[in-house]
Amino acid sequence: MILETLRIALRSMASNKLRTFLSMLGIIIGVAAVIAIVSIGTGARGEVTSQIANLGSNTININPGVQRGEGGRISRPYTDIFTLALGENIQKYSPAVQSLVPIGQGTGLLITGSTNVRATVVGTAPDYTAINDYYPAGGRFLQEEDLEQNSNVIILGSEVAEDLFGDRDPLGRTVRLSYGNRTHIFTVFGVMEEKSQGLAGNFNAQVYIPITTFMQKVANTRYVDSYMAQAGSSADAKIAVGQIEYFLTQSLGGSDRFRLLSQDQILEVIDQVTNTLNIMLGGIAGISLLVGGIGIMNIMLVSVTERTREIGIRKALGAKRRHIMRQFLIEALSLGGIGGVVGIVFGRLGAGAIARFGGWAPVVSIVSVLLALGFALLVGLFFGIYPAYKASRLDPVKALSYE
Amino acid sequence: MIEVKDLHKTYIMGKIKVPALRGVSFSVQDGEFLAIMGPSGSGKSTLMHLIGCLDYPTSGEYWIDGREISSISDDRLAEIRNQKIGFVFQQFNLLSRTTILQNVEIPLIYRGVSIRKRRQMAREALEKVGLGHRLTHKPNEISGGQKQRVAIARALVNNPAIILADEPTGNLDSKTGQEILEIFTDLNNQGHTIVLVTHEKEIAGYARRVIELRDGEILKDEVVA
Repeated sequence: MILETLRIALRSMASNKLRTFLSMLGIIIGVAAVIAIVSIGTGARGEVTSQIANLGSNTININPGVQRGEGGRISRPYTDIFTLALGENIQKYSPAVQSLVPIGQGTGLLITGSTNVRATVVGTAPDYTAINDYYPAGGRFLQEEDLEQNSNVIILGSEVAEDLFGDRDPLGRTVRLSYGNRTHIFTVFGVMEEKSQGLAGNFNAQVYIPITTFMQKVANTRYVDSYMAQAGSSADAKIAVGQIEYFLTQSLGGSDRFRLLSQDQILEVIDQVTNTLNIMLGGIAGISLLVGGIGIMNIMLVSVTERTREIGIRKALGAKRRHIMRQFLIEALSLGGIGGVVGIVFGRLGAGAIARFGGWAPVVSIVSVLLALGFALLVGLFFGIYPAYKASRLDPVKALSYE
Repeated sequence: MIEVKDLHKTYIMGKIKVPALRGVSFSVQDGEFLAIMGPSGSGKSTLMHLIGCLDYPTSGEYWIDGREISSISDDRLAEIRNQKIGFVFQQFNLLSRTTILQNVEIPLIYRGVSIRKRRQMAREALEKVGLGHRLTHKPNEISGGQKQRVAIARALVNNPAIILADEPTGNLDSKTGQEILEIFTDLNNQGHTIVLVTHEKEIAGYARRVIELRDGEILKDEVVA
């Protein structure tokens, strides 16, 4: 009976394909929008998350706070508060911090016989590799002895190595580093692997030297620029943020002296942005589903009027109200369902196109497909009720004499 | 068996009451071949709608197979139509997009007969009217006479108490019309009760009993030959 009715519905839809398509258009657009939105949302979020994970996992950046400009003084970051000893103390008094490295940074010019390259010089410690999930491809990274002995050891980012040495093996060669107005001779002990560019900038264009060497010989400073800390898990990272905050507020005499940026915080911000976007696009999808529903209702009302005589015949032959109601509801549901399926196909195509543009894998989850299809059917059902009810209440005598 | 007692039907057009039937009483025994005759406006269409359970009388009683049905619900009335009455219309009233076989199956669908059984029953009914070879044709692929045969098969398929034919030859040429009327005669000979509504005396001549209506009342009720 249901199958029979479904066949009748499909036949009546097939007999007027253009009209059927047009009346489905709203649903198609709505469903396609839902599929595309969910796919783009998931894809984009995955992309951003992977970029963040690229920074190393569960890391916390500790940066100096910004001084307010008062009485003619210009606002600028605190520069003279982060020391090596403070870094050690942060780790000591924040048990959730697994490892921590100081970072000193500046721009220098690297020179070999005939070539020179401008690069970011990063003074840091051995744990830098583990925290950033970033390892040497050849040679080795900085070691504790290098820091203890203020050695002139340099590790090159992959781009810098390429620019300076081309095809030659850089290991064991010397480079001159011109920084400020002095020049130092360094020996290359390692070349880093390539790391895809993410939110933290280009690792490949950096060179790495011991933090002690950086402070005492190169930059001539007693202070470091920032710290990079890592916790064992994302739960630990939350705890670590609290511990570091407490410790630094106590030891620096104010919470404005430093700023913490954890991956969780970055993720939260990104989540907020994606959520806002999703709500907006979801609203658009909702409106087009509503419009689609009205389209279905409109076409169903036309269909009921056109088939008044058929309804009269069916009633004369013994169709009860519920039979007629069921017939038209199934037709409305088919409109919604087929519109939904077509919409899913279009949505998938759209999601694929945008994913290629955005450079991530198109994700069409079974949940979003079911959700979209469910909505389409629900819209069909809801907006089919009134026309079906109207059809079921037709007076058989009047319906039979309808021309 | 059907019986009507003092049947009235009044239509209300705006503020004016238009009486279509003014106290009609008669009964039809099983196996009768009755023609209801009358010019247009005599109330015969109204009477046909009432006998066919398509409409409710304003007052009066209507008994069909021992059941009084002038005030039962819409859906119960549909059930009675389905099981007790077979319609044959002047306009054929076949569904144009469905095959002949499926057209004949419709009353069985609403009775809840399984698909296999109703296919078989519909085929048998079509064979009875000589259309066993046209099952998969659509109504627009066959002639008017054949359409009316399909309609008769559809009316027969549920083995109803009466077959109610409303001007069944009105859209056919006289030769085809005659063939159709002969089918009715045959069916009557097989024991089917037939009520034929017409305005033509010639057609009423096929019946064994004629009721003549005029202005909503019975003018004549006589058995012929």
